[in-house]
Amino acid sequence: MSRIRAAINFIRARLHHDEIAREVETELRFHIEMRTRANIEAGMAPSEARLAAQQSFGNFEQFKISCCEIKRGFPFDLKALRMGLYIAIACLAGGFALVAVNLPHHSFIGVIWQLAAIAVLMCSFLVGRRKQRQRH
Amino acid sequence: MAKSKAGLLQGTLDMLILKALSLGALHGYGIGQRIAQISGDELKIEEGSLYPGLYRLEQRGWVQSEWDVSDNNQRAKFYKLTRAGRKQLTLEERNWERLAGATMKALRAS
Repeated sequence: MSRIRAAINFIRARLHHDEIAREVETELRFHIEMRTRANIEAGMAPSEARLAAQQSFGNFEQFKISCCEIKRGFPFDLKALRMGLYIAIACLAGGFALVAVNLPHHSFIGVIWQLAAIAVLMCSFLVGRRKQRQRH
Repeated sequence: MAKSKAGLLQGTLDMLILKALSLGALHGYGIGQRIAQISGDELKIEEGSLYPGLYRLEQRGWVQSEWDVSDNNQRAKFYKLTRAGRKQLTLEERNWERLAGATMKALRAS
């Protein structure tokens, strides 16, 4: 469920840049406001309290940009997605091979299926081999 | 003797945020306060750095947020731990204990 929510947040962040930037800014300003109040309660003058709050917060603009970038970032682990894609290709190739073997060889459709199965198997083999070479 | 506050080791901020949220939903400022409270005011965090951390955790699905009204009637974003976040916290606590134990063992070796 939380992954679905993360995906919805990602799409929203991609579609509504300005709204997200405003939300981030409101949130960060709330933090500085709260720290300022705490500083005033601790006995600081208001201007001194705000300055101290801003200093303890750090680089406001930098954090705002970082937060917006994270919001717009892809919320899933690409390595796991890639692995899933390889498994899907392997399953597809296996399925094609199974169908092709069981089809009568003399029909035109049967030959097309066999060629498709060979093409998928070749592609998955070439992709797999290239990845393995990159790793070594 | 004056105590010097410890800086955070890389990667521990996420664990501390999860720990702070395991005690209840909070806004960003509250999380900073709770971390200070549970660490006995020993850990020094640049307050703004909490937010990129929080956003990363939300993106991973370990925390979720919603806008609400704070005690002082201001609009604030509150965060709470998800079930996946609770599992992650348990995992990170276990890893941290193992790492701390191993480091202590190495330091005590003669």
